[in-house]
Amino acid sequence: MTISLPPRMTYRDGLATAMRRAMAESDNTIIIGQGVTDHKGIFGTTSDLHKEFPGRVIETPLSEDAVTGLCVGGAINGLYPINTHIRADFGLLAVNQLINMAAKYKYMFGGLFQVPMLVRMVIGRSWGQGAQHSQSLQSLFAHIPGLTVVMPSTPEAILRTYDHAVRTHKGPVVSFEHRLMYDLSFDTDQHPPVTDPFGSRLERRGKDVTIVATSIMVLEARRAAAHLAQHGIDCEVIDLHCVSRPDRKMIMDSVTKTGKLVVADTSWLPYGVSAEVCRIVAESDPGVLKAPVVNLGMALAPCPTAKSLEDVYYPDLHLTIDAVAKLVRGKADHGVPIPTHKSMTDFYKHFRGPF
Amino acid sequence: MSRNDRYQELFRQALRIRLVEEKVIELYPSDKIQSPVHLSIGQEAVAVGVCEALRPEDAVYITYRGHAFYMAKGGPLPELMAELYGRRNGVSGGKAGSMHLAAPQVGVMGASAVVGSTISVAVGGAMANRILKKPGLSVVCFGDGATEQGTYHESLNLASLYGLPALFLCENNGLAVHASLAERQSYRILEHARSYGIETVRIDEGWDFLKIGDVTRQVTDAMRADGRPRVMEVMTCRYKEHVGPGEDFAAGYRSQAEVEAWMAKDPLCADTALVAELKPALDAEIDQAVAFAEAGELPGLDDLLTDVY
Repeated sequence: MTISLPPRMTYRDGLATAMRRAMAESDNTIIIGQGVTDHKGIFGTTSDLHKEFPGRVIETPLSEDAVTGLCVGGAINGLYPINTHIRADFGLLAVNQLINMAAKYKYMFGGLFQVPMLVRMVIGRSWGQGAQHSQSLQSLFAHIPGLTVVMPSTPEAILRTYDHAVRTHKGPVVSFEHRLMYDLSFDTDQHPPVTDPFGSRLERRGKDVTIVATSIMVLEARRAAAHLAQHGIDCEVIDLHCVSRPDRKMIMDSVTKTGKLVVADTSWLPYGVSAEVCRIVAESDPGVLKAPVVNLGMALAPCPTAKSLEDVYYPDLHLTIDAVAKLVRGKADHGVPIPTHKSMTDFYKHFRGPF
Repeated sequence: MSRNDRYQELFRQALRIRLVEEKVIELYPSDKIQSPVHLSIGQEAVAVGVCEALRPEDAVYITYRGHAFYMAKGGPLPELMAELYGRRNGVSGGKAGSMHLAAPQVGVMGASAVVGSTISVAVGGAMANRILKKPGLSVVCFGDGATEQGTYHESLNLASLYGLPALFLCENNGLAVHASLAERQSYRILEHARSYGIETVRIDEGWDFLKIGDVTRQVTDAMRADGRPRVMEVMTCRYKEHVGPGEDFAAGYRSQAEVEAWMAKDPLCADTALVAELKPALDAEIDQAVAFAEAGELPGLDDLLTDVY
């Protein structure tokens, strides 16, 4: 569908616009979760909607499991529930309903029911979020048949994806939104229209290396690509977007061209998005690889709280540039200067709580 | 119970469920039904009595021990049998089996094999009806064990807080698999439910479909008037083992004498004359359902990946 957007928009504005649009377009839509009607309104994405749409923006007790079940029951009876979790970690309390019920209610009953609903899970990072306010759980949910898992990396992706989820897609969608992107402004005109709103996006064309990235790592990849371009390395960047249904052809076409693959995910590497992208290449044609795959993700530990530890826990722009340059040049002494300005890292440093 | 027309009709419905399940027991050694079966035998009167008071637009959310409620609410019998057989002409094309029965056209909104999982779903159904201005109550059936789940507590709170017409129907057979109430519960089910500001009612005579029907009608009439939830506990008795076609008194976890005392009050056991009168026609219907199932195609590769997303 055609959507008209202002030339620049924050991630938060994209979410707020998507929420208002979903509510305005259908009386069947509800937004339900802890904090959806309070003065903070899920980081400003549901603010005041309860005044505009009385009875359909619903504050809840701290009962993630039953609230998710309530959404499933609403969905099979004609509602479109949008359920929010201000931290993805809280969504783990709803895993029985998401995995045993929402994901299976269509198949298990031979297609007698549809479960159209959207679960928004916000990934926290920075300002000492620690072990239980920071997890990127996409691969856990993407493992489950029946769940569609998306990780929008731009306001435009949010609008197109949520619009498609609400209007067209008749199943449960779990979306991981990255808290650190909420305040970032994006140019909205640089993205070519997509035919499949859930599909992977070719963010940048290049010939030397393929970077397959998710969520905020798409931004890191684009920044790394811009820097590397000044030093003769031409990166192709794929925003995987729908981690439960990666575009195999887009990945293989790209890796066939470049022969080199970096996977940059927001989560842990084992059994995750990195492993899945490697599975795609290994099953399709591992012979296209001219070098071993490089995977970037969180250190294999719960997230520490101390800033000095958090700084080395997450992959950042510098690590990304260094890893890509090493892979392309085939040596540690690759000759690409690591930038002194700290674009995204600066942002992280200046990012202050409270939430 | 007096043998009037209403008694005869509810008796017939309860007997129909029992005979279907006895057919399942008869067929089980043939391995034609290749899935776990949790039989309702002994508990049929609850489903029949409750569903007598329900309207077509009312929904029931049931459990893996769901044959009785599926049939009492009007789910088609041939498609049930074909589903047990894992055939394409089953109600869910063989993907559901015994544990996941549904027939949304008559308000059977699905069964879960994870205890307690449909409770909050039923509350969501009640919320949908309110927002979409549709008539109909949500009735959720669960066992005494389900009240031990956190989601039961969360769901009672949500239904009371939001003022939703959900009927929480606890079929209390005193057992969770093989564990007794005394081993599991430090609370009294209805006393606990009342602490949410929800009115409750208890029926001790779980064999008496007339009484269950009468009480359910009073309860549902009140719910239709005030839009509030209710919790209803019906004491009942599971005659067979937790899962499977047999009996397991030899295991020693419960008393056979107690079950026999219950059976003495169960009209399906006691009123042998009416059983004899009704059985031939019901047997004929069941045989037709079995024939329907046996004639069904097996689902195959073409069906494996349909209806996933």
